[in-house]
Amino acid sequence: MADLVQLVIIGLLAGGIYAAVGVGFSLVWGVLNIVNLAHGALVIVGAYLTWQIFTASGLDPFLTLPIDAVALFAFGYVVQRGVINRIIRAPLLFTFLLTFGLNLIAVNVLLLIFKSDFRSVTTAYSGAGLDLGGIVVPYIRLAALGIALLVAAALALLLNRTRVGLAIQAVGSDRDAAQLVGIDLRHAYAVTYGLGAACAGVAGGLIAMIQAITPTAGEPYTLQAFVVVILGGLGRVSATVVGGLVFGLVEAFAQSIPGSGSVFANAIAFGVMVLVLVTRPQGLLGRLR
Amino acid sequence: MKKHILALLAVAGLVTLACGSGSNQGAQGSTIVLGAPLGLTGSLTKESALTKQGYDLWLDWINKQGGINVNGTKHPVTIKYYDDTSNANQSAVLMQKLITEDKANFLLGPYGSAATATDAAIAEQNQIPMVEANGAAQSIFNQGYKYTFGVLSPANKYLQGVLDMAATLNPKPTKIAMLSADDNFSLEVAQGVNDYATGLGMQVVVYKKYKNGATALTAEVQAAKAVNPDIVLNSGHLAEAIAIHKAAKEQKLNAKIFAYSVGPSTPDFIKSLGKDADYVYDGSQWTPQVKYKSQFYLSVSDYVAAYKAKYPGEGDPDYHVAESTAACLALQRAIEKANSLDAKKVRDALAALDVTTFYGRIKFDSRGINTFKPMVVEQIQGGEHHTVFPSDVADKQPMYPTPSWDQR
Repeated sequence: MADLVQLVIIGLLAGGIYAAVGVGFSLVWGVLNIVNLAHGALVIVGAYLTWQIFTASGLDPFLTLPIDAVALFAFGYVVQRGVINRIIRAPLLFTFLLTFGLNLIAVNVLLLIFKSDFRSVTTAYSGAGLDLGGIVVPYIRLAALGIALLVAAALALLLNRTRVGLAIQAVGSDRDAAQLVGIDLRHAYAVTYGLGAACAGVAGGLIAMIQAITPTAGEPYTLQAFVVVILGGLGRVSATVVGGLVFGLVEAFAQSIPGSGSVFANAIAFGVMVLVLVTRPQGLLGRLR
Repeated sequence: MKKHILALLAVAGLVTLACGSGSNQGAQGSTIVLGAPLGLTGSLTKESALTKQGYDLWLDWINKQGGINVNGTKHPVTIKYYDDTSNANQSAVLMQKLITEDKANFLLGPYGSAATATDAAIAEQNQIPMVEANGAAQSIFNQGYKYTFGVLSPANKYLQGVLDMAATLNPKPTKIAMLSADDNFSLEVAQGVNDYATGLGMQVVVYKKYKNGATALTAEVQAAKAVNPDIVLNSGHLAEAIAIHKAAKEQKLNAKIFAYSVGPSTPDFIKSLGKDADYVYDGSQWTPQVKYKSQFYLSVSDYVAAYKAKYPGEGDPDYHVAESTAACLALQRAIEKANSLDAKKVRDALAALDVTTFYGRIKFDSRGINTFKPMVVEQIQGGEHHTVFPSDVADKQPMYPTPSWDQR
């Protein structure tokens, strides 16, 4: 029983990270209709930012998260305004090619700056945790889950309660109508991508505290974000959070299969995704659009 | 245009003069071209960079000597590198390109067992010897290839040294938790442990495989914790070793020995984990502390000094660097013995090679892998690597048992 509880906790804590990575990806996909293949690279840029600030100044890594968010927002805004906006109405393949190219550039610039060394943010409290009668809850992972939920809540508030957020939603549902009522499309696109990048940056900061990073470590996260969004359903922040937690749980349980069964953890997680696609194409919590 | 040609001629003349005035005797022979595809981008960039350092260290040295001596003529050497993007299939394509387009005389191996396996097939088809230092999976050498030679100890030996050491410790650890990535090399390392443990009175109580390259390994570590093991072994790579060690601390998995096949020997492992890296063991092809009597090239201490001079700020050379240099040395010695640049003759000289270098003994069994050099066991103590086994080459005693996480 204790093992089961422990496994659920491991899954939920991992799921928090997946949710944090997923929310930005979901926003960009849902509003801009861009499957952002550079998302994992943005995550790792955030991770390196946290690592760099922590190493240079010793600032607590959690305090670097707002810096990650602001820096990545600015970066994302400029990239969308200057580059991606040019092909926003082009066929899907072009957006794939462009974001794939951006991913390559980002990863290789990171390789130039930071080399391929493995880096990690190791604080005095890294690895420490609550011990509840044999059931372990590491502090950093717990905080990461909390921050992931906070980021998601903040994003949901922003989208539903502010002028900018409503404009973004309007653009997401009908570009032409949004333009007709006076929304500056290029600005709205850029803010959306910037918000997606900011979420990625925060997720990256959390990841730097949890695992060792290299410039190429972001690629699996793009894939995971994709699965998480499909699982939860496109277009709602809460759906992505649920998708992330479900993905974390499925992965943890698959990994606990004895022997070589755990090799198939990824395959099982993808299998669940296919199952959801077949039975509920709009995702676990998604709305049909 | 004419001006350009004149300038080129002038430069060529200067270069010839410069070479002629060097310390080398004898005529200058044609340049020997060696080819190596390496993962300069992609997931294996770190290990590939270390491999390249090892090759380049030797390249500088041999060209300072004037080149490789064949029949009294010194042939300078160049190494042509291509980026295989850490992809085994791409590596094979580039190997073929090195042979057909760049006319490589001989081949040096890529990084990793997967790429080495695909490249070995290319070397065999073209009958050009490949000396490699970074593919330890025995499956490469069980194909009956005649043109691939590996200077490193095969995969199944990687963690056997750790078990040999464990058997000498008191209280003797017996219960092993074995975690392994699912690539060929890692599985052979794990199989080596499974085959070897019972003979030493130990048993593998849990054996879990995970997807190669995985970084979320908490659930696997939890499965190991459930059986309360004395020894936690991981057979994987640097990224997985760091992930497992972090998870072991988080999940409070306490064992007397933590030993990982690949990872702890690199500076990154200590940099990433800080004090938590202490007490971790690894099976290593080579350490900077070993005491081998070198028959040619540099002594162990001179090698370490040469590395630090060329790559300042990188610390001691790790074994990836040393074994890569050793591959070049084996090739060099074989060319000299063959006294020829003929591929077939050099192959035969490689097969007959038996030489001791700073890296240890290099001699190939009938399959082409170096089964004659033992693995050494390293332990991280106080943030530094120390050789702890076998005792005749060790510089420290093992710190045993590993204290529990809350007593560090």
